[in-house]
Amino acid sequence: MPLVGSRNLSDLFRAAPLVSVASEDRWQLPGAQILQLMYEIDDAQMTALIPPALHPTIPPTLVFTVTRAPESPAGPFVLAEVKVGARSGARPRGFLARGYCDSAEAMKALGNRWGYPLLQAQVTLDKRYDRIRATVKAGGATVLELTLLNPEPISGNDLQYLANLNLARVTRDGSALDRLVQVDPDYVFRSADRGKPQLDAFDAAAWQLAGAKPIHAVSASYAVADITMPVLRYLVDPVKPPLQAVERL
Amino acid sequence: MKFGLFYEISVPRPWEADTEYNVYQNCLEQVRLADELGFDQVWAVEHHFLEEYSHCSAPEIFLTACAMQTKNIRIGRGIVVCVPQFNNPIKAAEVAATMDIVSGGRLEFGTGRSATWTELGGFGADPDETKKTWDEWTRIIPKMWTQDRFQYEGRAFSMPQRAVLPKPYQKPHPPMWVAVTSPGTELDAADRGMGSLGLTFGGFQEQEKKIAEYRRRIKYCNPVGSFVNEAVNTVNFLFCHEDNEYGAKTGQRLAGTFNYLAEQLLAARQAYPTRSYPNLGLLPALRREATSAPEGQIPEGLAIGNPERIVQVIKNWESVGVDRINFLLNAVETVPQEEVLASLRLFAKEVMPKFADSRQPVGASAAGGV
Repeated sequence: MPLVGSRNLSDLFRAAPLVSVASEDRWQLPGAQILQLMYEIDDAQMTALIPPALHPTIPPTLVFTVTRAPESPAGPFVLAEVKVGARSGARPRGFLARGYCDSAEAMKALGNRWGYPLLQAQVTLDKRYDRIRATVKAGGATVLELTLLNPEPISGNDLQYLANLNLARVTRDGSALDRLVQVDPDYVFRSADRGKPQLDAFDAAAWQLAGAKPIHAVSASYAVADITMPVLRYLVDPVKPPLQAVERL
Repeated sequence: MKFGLFYEISVPRPWEADTEYNVYQNCLEQVRLADELGFDQVWAVEHHFLEEYSHCSAPEIFLTACAMQTKNIRIGRGIVVCVPQFNNPIKAAEVAATMDIVSGGRLEFGTGRSATWTELGGFGADPDETKKTWDEWTRIIPKMWTQDRFQYEGRAFSMPQRAVLPKPYQKPHPPMWVAVTSPGTELDAADRGMGSLGLTFGGFQEQEKKIAEYRRRIKYCNPVGSFVNEAVNTVNFLFCHEDNEYGAKTGQRLAGTFNYLAEQLLAARQAYPTRSYPNLGLLPALRREATSAPEGQIPEGLAIGNPERIVQVIKNWESVGVDRINFLLNAVETVPQEEVLASLRLFAKEVMPKFADSRQPVGASAAGGV
């Protein structure tokens, strides 16, 4: 059967956000800009980046996503994520161990509501006609810099985004449990482009992905979409085998 | 109705020295038995890099071995990837013709374009181009087979005048097929006068609509080859057992395992935004069919269970217009070889005779006989 992850996430859970799964909030994020790049990574870390509940994709991948939300209940924010492409059983997912957000208020809300494990940083998204570039500067260092070159229009229907599995703690039956929280937003696209991906800087350790080595560019896309952040439906117990790990809320 | 086998050749981990050898030997043993039992055809895929799911990257070799070990069963290249980074059209025509000769005119020639980033990315192929190169190749390969000398100035391929040799044993050439996974590809097949080699299941109703449209469209086709191959070929799982419950349970385990492996791959659409791949190809459709049944029931279209149930399933497929069914027999050796062979024997004994009246020699329907 397929390979499974070998990563022990215990240390990371200590700093993970505590999520209230009972909330029925659905945030609307109108006119959000989304820059996304995919890279294949060296298979030396194929199983070391994900927990036993997940399978690596074949080939193993990282997905870099920077989202600027000009409006949200927590005000405007820019969110940066680097996710490991994975399968939860047979379902495609992106495992997020750490992200960055430029707004303290949004960071707190996204963590408490949807389990995004975030740190505050300077996150920028700059759209030009010949390129779309994003940068993340944390602690004085550039931990991510990526670019989509030569954008050309495509249909939003041609885009497919992975649902997140965010590393978080969840309160159930009075105790805080270490879980991966599935977040699968709904997207209504206003426009979409694709172009050539270029990864200018990536500090894997700053994203809790030490050893992850992007080796082959796959794709880059940019979209403007109305995003609906969902009600949580599923959790994943990271230490269980994939077919036993999914819990329905 | 005609019956065949369909091979992805999936190999379970751990991969020890003789794991692949044993799986290949099991497949060959199944094909020999199928030939003795009167199955009409055996198809093998061309896949690359698809760990566990398919270790069948040189199907022409496997199928040649099948041909050398059998007498009657036809051998189906299912499919030649018509993408220049994977194959060269001259070489594809030559290899196919040679297979047809050494098999004594038993080749079925399937065409397609790959559906995973795992493969397309591995070969450095541009997903935007694959439909176009497939279209171009399907038009030139039959001319390479039938013209004494062939020359061509095309979009993705050109060649000066040469005799492409050898020529196929079947005249004018082997029947041609298109692998159908994306919606609408069955119409591409019809428009070109090619057989529809369905690689997804779908329910009866969904397939009936597609097949009816295929039959309508092919009447007005502009055939790429020298004749029209109007035929609808589908893929299914097979596990036949006297005990319906055991047969269904084992068959569902087989189907579930196969689909689980498929989902670990990276579909083209999941990695690269392109209009060229409007859906995920065979992967989700296979999974849906294998799991889409109420709790405790068997998915309606799967040929698993006891002979009586399988007869009814196949009659349903026949009624919606399917001409041939090819069966996947195993996935990562989930089913012991002895049980696979027993399933084939029982199917041949109890199910195939029920369709004997509607069974014709395969080559006859395609008008591509020797």
